Amino acid sequence: MKMIIQIDRKSYIVPYLSILLAFILLGLGSFKVGDLYAGESVIVYSGRAERLIKPVLDHFEKTTGTTVQLLTAGSTELVNRLRAEKTRTPADVFITNEAGALELARKLHLLQPITLPDIEKTIPQPFRAPDNSWIGLSGRMWVTVYNTTMVDPSSIHSLLDLATPTWKGKLAIPTANSEYLQAGASMVLAAKGEKTADAFLQGIRDNAGNEVYGKNRQIVDAVAKGKVSVGIVNHYYIFRHLSKDPQAPIAPLITDQDEGGMGSIMNVAGIGLTAHAKHLPAANQLITFLMSPTGQRMFAEINKEYPVNPAVSADPAVPPASSFRASTIPLTRLAELRDPIIQEIQRLGLR
Amino acid sequence: MVRHTQLTPLSLVGLSIAALLTFPLVYVTYSALTGDLSQAGQLWNTRLPELLTNTISLALGVSIVTLTLGVSTAWIITRYQFWGRAFWDWGFVLPLAIPSFVLAYVYTYLLDTAGPVEQSWQWITNSDTRIPSPYSFTGALVVMSLNTFPYVYLLARAAFQNFNLSFEEAAQATGATRSETFWRVSLPLIRPALMASMFLVVLYVVSDFGAVSLLRFQTFTYAIYQQITGRFDYQSAALLSLLLVAFALVFLFAERWFRKQSRFYQTSGRVRTATPKPCSIARALTINLSFLMIFTAAFGLPVFLLIQWTLTAWINGEIGTSFGTYIGNSVFLSATAATAALALGTPLAYLASRIPSTLHVACLQGAYIGYVLPGPVAALALLILFTDMIPILYGTVIVLILAYLIHYLPAGLQAMESALQQVNPNLEEAARNLGSKGIRTFMQITFPLVRKGFSAAWLLMFLLCMKELPATLLLRPIGFDTLAVRIWLEASEELYQLAAPPALLIVMLSIPAVFLLSKKNWQAG
Repeated sequence: MKMIIQIDRKSYIVPYLSILLAFILLGLGSFKVGDLYAGESVIVYSGRAERLIKPVLDHFEKTTGTTVQLLTAGSTELVNRLRAEKTRTPADVFITNEAGALELARKLHLLQPITLPDIEKTIPQPFRAPDNSWIGLSGRMWVTVYNTTMVDPSSIHSLLDLATPTWKGKLAIPTANSEYLQAGASMVLAAKGEKTADAFLQGIRDNAGNEVYGKNRQIVDAVAKGKVSVGIVNHYYIFRHLSKDPQAPIAPLITDQDEGGMGSIMNVAGIGLTAHAKHLPAANQLITFLMSPTGQRMFAEINKEYPVNPAVSADPAVPPASSFRASTIPLTRLAELRDPIIQEIQRLGLR
Repeated sequence: MVRHTQLTPLSLVGLSIAALLTFPLVYVTYSALTGDLSQAGQLWNTRLPELLTNTISLALGVSIVTLTLGVSTAWIITRYQFWGRAFWDWGFVLPLAIPSFVLAYVYTYLLDTAGPVEQSWQWITNSDTRIPSPYSFTGALVVMSLNTFPYVYLLARAAFQNFNLSFEEAAQATGATRSETFWRVSLPLIRPALMASMFLVVLYVVSDFGAVSLLRFQTFTYAIYQQITGRFDYQSAALLSLLLVAFALVFLFAERWFRKQSRFYQTSGRVRTATPKPCSIARALTINLSFLMIFTAAFGLPVFLLIQWTLTAWINGEIGTSFGTYIGNSVFLSATAATAALALGTPLAYLASRIPSTLHVACLQGAYIGYVLPGPVAALALLILFTDMIPILYGTVIVLILAYLIHYLPAGLQAMESALQQVNPNLEEAARNLGSKGIRTFMQITFPLVRKGFSAAWLLMFLLCMKELPATLLLRPIGFDTLAVRIWLEASEELYQLAAPPALLIVMLSIPAVFLLSKKNWQAG
């Protein structure tokens, strides 16, 4: 027998309203996590891989007792989010994997100057914003990787050499979406002008043909297997491959070191203080920790990146920072060149 | 029959639900049309032709492939008796448990330059031949088709199981051959089910962002996503979204028109459905072999790789301890959203099918728009609306659940509407004539009849929410990660082995739901 449900004709609105109300209360009650920790916590928006930043933040939590709440997404995506949230953003600091996004955030007035006494002593001038509203934390170089059995390294002096027809069918490059390709091409544009940058992009497009990879790791793999003889990647992927397979016939090549050359292409991962940070003391505490020798050493060891604090040296596996000359183009240029370079990359039809 | 046209309290409920669901669209329209409109001209000249061609050809291609795969598998399974049939019966629903972006990342691994497929091909043929790149139309076509054909299979199977055999018998008695019967009687009879499944498939393809972005195939939604994440161009994104919505509206009206043309009610009390016929060993073998190929490509191989990668990650000690939290978050969000969607969808579907006044049909159509409003755009619109207008709710799961509702209620609505349409209104009419009023008629007459269809709708929405990506990325509360978010974060960092455990978990959590879905007799024909 079915149960007979006696419900008044108009009472159907009541169950609906109560269901809706229940959802609202549920959401309100349980997930305003941000407010629960007010005062003793710092809220971090991060565009970096959690694997690379979480250990450092965990260490900070342990040593200071300040809670870190982490939200990971794409760097540019987070700039948009900060912009949409305006004064209501819960974020106190903004960590990114490259300087362009930080500078864009600064230009949009989403950041405020960091007022820590040691900042100018600890972070060299090229690696921070003019008003100190963001600072670099660790450097990564966009370098050439070559197969040691196939290439004589003395035949490549400049990144631009890779765009010459000599390397047709022998070069592997990242996809058009890669932030590193965009930043690298922006640096060429800033150092050498539009014509050279165009020729460079067209050259690597033609030389690479089908050898366009979504992942830096795949480029290093292709070079190690001898599918191609050279590739362009971020330096730490080479060392990651070598630490797993020390016999792999690959080596990094730091180009553009000639007198008057543009220097090697260096970008930084960094941190900015948001304009509407609600937990200023905790945010400053975190920034202080990240630029301290302890924090910097973790970046060098875990990520094999270059610490920006000159007091800390790079991991022994990577070439010491004193052994090469980096490009002198200020990283702040990356922000203004971003849109033009994306348009250029699209126009030239890079894959 | 009396048609109520006055504004009843229920119409008001329907109207407010529709208003809530179309809110983001209003905002997107506003953003697109205010400000500098010269953007529009530039977009028209540069990106649009390519995006239109790509999107439409992908939607068409996937439709053709999924219809072929879905209808033929459903036909064979409902009409033939062969060894292994019981397994294939639900096995073909399993691909629904794999999120499209997971399938895409598995296929990029498999088909990439020097990937396993190319290497084995070169070894077998002893040559240097290259295989087609997965980063192409073909790649997107293969991945999207394998991922969505179960929708067609499910609905076609239910329709084949439900329809009255007398129609076929009548055709054959009057001299039609078997193939004539299939093409001219059976297939037209299940047309509503086919249209409903095409609706799901095409809109899924058009609004997908995860798979096409991994395969770098430029569709509307992918371009829109690039406009708002890679650059800072909300207006262009909004403009492109409006075009996409217009495209969807045309499609919606076409589907509705077709449905109107073909409304069948059960005429007599006796229904005779088909009994599967036994078939020869050779034929059974052929069927099993071809089914195995489809199944391996859509489910077996991807899951095998996910298990292998998960084991590697586990051996390397790379699996963290927070998985319990991610599972809890995913299940909580999806279950809440699916339940809320059912609660909000019922009045809309009921009103439109029983009292189809202009207002009610418009409310229902409004709710459908959300499916095609690209996830990232709707999410950003919600973010802006909530921070500006209801900041107290911003940063809670409410906003995220609302985003799920807007995007996935249409998928469930389709099944709910079909279920309601199957109920002959005369039954309700009779109950009313006997003195049963409003809600009581619904609870006692209508609801028991549509319960299966409604459960299927709940399960479908639950599954879709588990796999949702762009809105979750943008709107999740801080520290509230879901399995899908974990996959995306790890996969975009090239860490396939770390992306595999949450991917495998989504698949495993979705399998029970998919299994139930395959057991339900979808009342959609």
